[in-house]
Amino acid sequence: MTIPIKTAINGRERELAVKPNQTLLECLRDELGLRGTVEGCGVGVCGSCTVLVDGRPVSSCLLLATNADGKQVTTIEGLADGERLHPVQEAFLQCHAFQCGYCTPGMIMATVALLAANSQPTEAETRDYLSGNICRCGTYVEVLAAVRALAGSSAAEESA
Amino acid sequence: MSTSAIGIERPRVDGPAKVTGAAVYTADVELPGMLYAKALRSPHPHARLLRVDASKAEAYSGVIAVVTRDDLRDLPLPYFGPIVKDQPIVAIDRVRFAGDVVAAVAAEARDVAEEAVGLIEVEYEPLPGVFDALSAIQPDAPVLHEQRQTSAGRLDTPSLRFEQAGNVCSVYHVEDGDLAAGFAAADEIFEDVYSTAKLQHGHLEPHAALAYWEPAGKLVVYTATQNPSYIRIQLAELFGLPQSQVRVIVPFVGGGYGGKVHARLEPLTALLARKARRPVQWVLTREEVFLTGHCHAATVRIRTGVKRDGTLVAREVEAYYDTGAYALTGPTTAKNGGEVSGGPYRIPNQSLTSYCVYTNTPPTGPFRGFGTPQVCWPYECQMDDIARRLEIDPLALRQKNLVREGDTFVTGDALQSVGLSDCLAEVARAIDWQGRAEQAPRPPGPVVRGKGLAVMIKTTMTPSNSTATVRLNADGSATLLTSSVEIGQGTLTSLAQIVAEELRLPPERVSVTFPDTDVTPFDQSTSSSRTVFSMGRAALGAAGEVRQQLLAIGARALETAPNDLELDDGAVQVRGAPSRRLTIPQLFAAHFGAPVGSLLGHHSFQTQGGVNPTTGKAKGRASVYFFLSACAAEVEVDVETGKVRVLRIANAVDAGKAINPRQCHLQNEGSMLTELGAALFEEMVFDEGQPINASFVEYMLPSLEDQPQQFRSLLVEHPHPLGPFGAKGVGEAALGPVGPAIGNAVANALDGVRLRDLPLRPDRVLAALAAKGAQP
Repeated sequence: MTIPIKTAINGRERELAVKPNQTLLECLRDELGLRGTVEGCGVGVCGSCTVLVDGRPVSSCLLLATNADGKQVTTIEGLADGERLHPVQEAFLQCHAFQCGYCTPGMIMATVALLAANSQPTEAETRDYLSGNICRCGTYVEVLAAVRALAGSSAAEESA
Repeated sequence: MSTSAIGIERPRVDGPAKVTGAAVYTADVELPGMLYAKALRSPHPHARLLRVDASKAEAYSGVIAVVTRDDLRDLPLPYFGPIVKDQPIVAIDRVRFAGDVVAAVAAEARDVAEEAVGLIEVEYEPLPGVFDALSAIQPDAPVLHEQRQTSAGRLDTPSLRFEQAGNVCSVYHVEDGDLAAGFAAADEIFEDVYSTAKLQHGHLEPHAALAYWEPAGKLVVYTATQNPSYIRIQLAELFGLPQSQVRVIVPFVGGGYGGKVHARLEPLTALLARKARRPVQWVLTREEVFLTGHCHAATVRIRTGVKRDGTLVAREVEAYYDTGAYALTGPTTAKNGGEVSGGPYRIPNQSLTSYCVYTNTPPTGPFRGFGTPQVCWPYECQMDDIARRLEIDPLALRQKNLVREGDTFVTGDALQSVGLSDCLAEVARAIDWQGRAEQAPRPPGPVVRGKGLAVMIKTTMTPSNSTATVRLNADGSATLLTSSVEIGQGTLTSLAQIVAEELRLPPERVSVTFPDTDVTPFDQSTSSSRTVFSMGRAALGAAGEVRQQLLAIGARALETAPNDLELDDGAVQVRGAPSRRLTIPQLFAAHFGAPVGSLLGHHSFQTQGGVNPTTGKAKGRASVYFFLSACAAEVEVDVETGKVRVLRIANAVDAGKAINPRQCHLQNEGSMLTELGAALFEEMVFDEGQPINASFVEYMLPSLEDQPQQFRSLLVEHPHPLGPFGAKGVGEAALGPVGPAIGNAVANALDGVRLRDLPLRPDRVLAALAAKGAQP
């Protein structure tokens, strides 16, 4: 048995037939081949599977695909504009804010959401917001540096 | 002249793939007709297996193959294990931990595999179990393995002393001087028992493997491993194949930290694929990862004799490492831990013993630090207790006793490249260490602060082998063929820097392969922080061979001697006459008649040594180099709740020479944070062998909220004569000193109240305070 849903994935309208027990993560990976979003814990605590649903960060391992009906879903594959990386991706590159890379898509999606909600986060706000995204390689110093660089550049834009 | 590729923070080669989500991990690989595997696991920690009936599962719609013990009969020996072949592919006569694999299903869909597993009927006869190392060594303890066959043909097994009865798998022992005389000469004697907990590696990518058999009989395996060469060897042995008929391919690996060094899923995945005649993918759930590997818990008794002036004169250590149900590299973990269990100190009289002990808990395996944190925790905590009782500054006490350049270590090794004193001085400065005042009583209050220091010494796998091939292309680009795995440490970037430097090429012209054992040569493993050192030396040697060939071609073409030539920015030129110069395409044209062909360089880097298993002393070298690092921490303890918060922490590691300093810092920061979790809250909990907290909901990993406000990685460089450009490994350097630095800071905050068991849970802090308060 499947349930039809309509959802916009990375800006493209899709009509999908999903199983009632299928998670959004499974749908993205298995049905749509979007494998940048990965599973780390399966219970919504590690943040590796973070995607944006209507702009809000969500653990896609906990959200049923049917709940994405009528929603806008953005994954790591939807951030870059053609060859041009999203500023958050660029900042993670510049600041070496990754090691094994497994948590990186989720960490980047959460950072995109953080900066959308608060373009000038304090370090305490950044720590709080990103504390649901675990990096076992321990790359937090560089992640904080990337967020600082992004907040700095948006501050520079605003003052310009 | 081109600039050096060494010592610079090159952007990472794997960056674009990782920030776009394009990086391919094993579970992302999909093949036509691929099936999904699911395992049936034992609910009992120890039981005889009376009956396994898979007929209902086999008949279930969508199931293609079920593997039970009945499918092992045609294998030469259905057991695997890197050192002791004690782990059956599926349980044969017994299960030895709650979670042991009894059978497995390959089906068209994941949910079908899961449903079918529930249809397999198993009858168990529960047996009494042993759940910690000290219980397991009692004479009447139930024994897990009556017969043990060690793996032949490994470089490390000749250093090991195996036991053949009881639950002790192996013993390491070394001594120096005269222990009794040493203690007799001591003014004060300290004796304590310390413990560390079982820990999860916490690699966010769960174990994953994909296997298929080519029609002509070759086995192909994609796997998330740190050790493609040994996976190939083990699969070849299990299935009775020549090694050339096993191909192991390793995509990006989402963290390993030791957890992916040895065969885990590969044998059973290959067996399922053989029976199903289709590709089979097996990806573990997080809960299953908890049952698949972890860090050895240890209990350590340490006794130290000291003179009133702080001179250490005698030390005796007994360390018991709980290796779980199967040995894996437990014997080497215990040996390596035992070697350094006296610490990086000059102590004339020592007796150090370590045991690797089987218990009915999940198998362990290598874990970042490899046996060192378990012994560093006791010797560094006790060092501070000694300082407190003798009224000596803990910094001065350490500096007084530290090993120095050229000292002979307890193993007999002459120590080289010893930057430990500098590391300690650096970290003490980083937290504004104030000498003896740090052990003075704190002003009373609900929240108290304290600072602590610790140092460590660790060995690296010796002997070992790394082999590399460099292929220079006619356009002046080069490829390094290596079985080293990119597990996040930056191998693709740092090895390219080493090859680029030797060939004087721009680093972006050098590419590094992913492991594919059909193509890439042998490597001992991507572990023991050995890749930059050992594979770096192999890559340097292979590039050096190509360099010699280029110079020879250039000498003929330019009609001069090779010694008069130098490489520069993709060309060969006459030293002092750079106008006489041929680019690499021109050199290829001179040699091959056109800019075509390949120049190949090859190098096998072998470290020699190990220890005599009877004396525990080095045969040559026990360790080709020694890790040395120091940590300083400042904490805040809430005496009402028992909560410990780390305010600042600094860890300094002697990198020898940092090939890519940013990557060294990243590795050091990662190992700092891993041990910070182990110090404060990480522990796997079992009740009579049953896992209690096998998920990331109950077992927390450090998050950004746990990262101390001041968190500093420091690099010290004392070049090692054997390392490429002087480099040593850095990837595990903080696994050891971080825990005791925090523990010592807590003790200084609490006026000497000592916690001896990790992690430093709030309830333990409160209990220690209550015990102190109850004393007259």
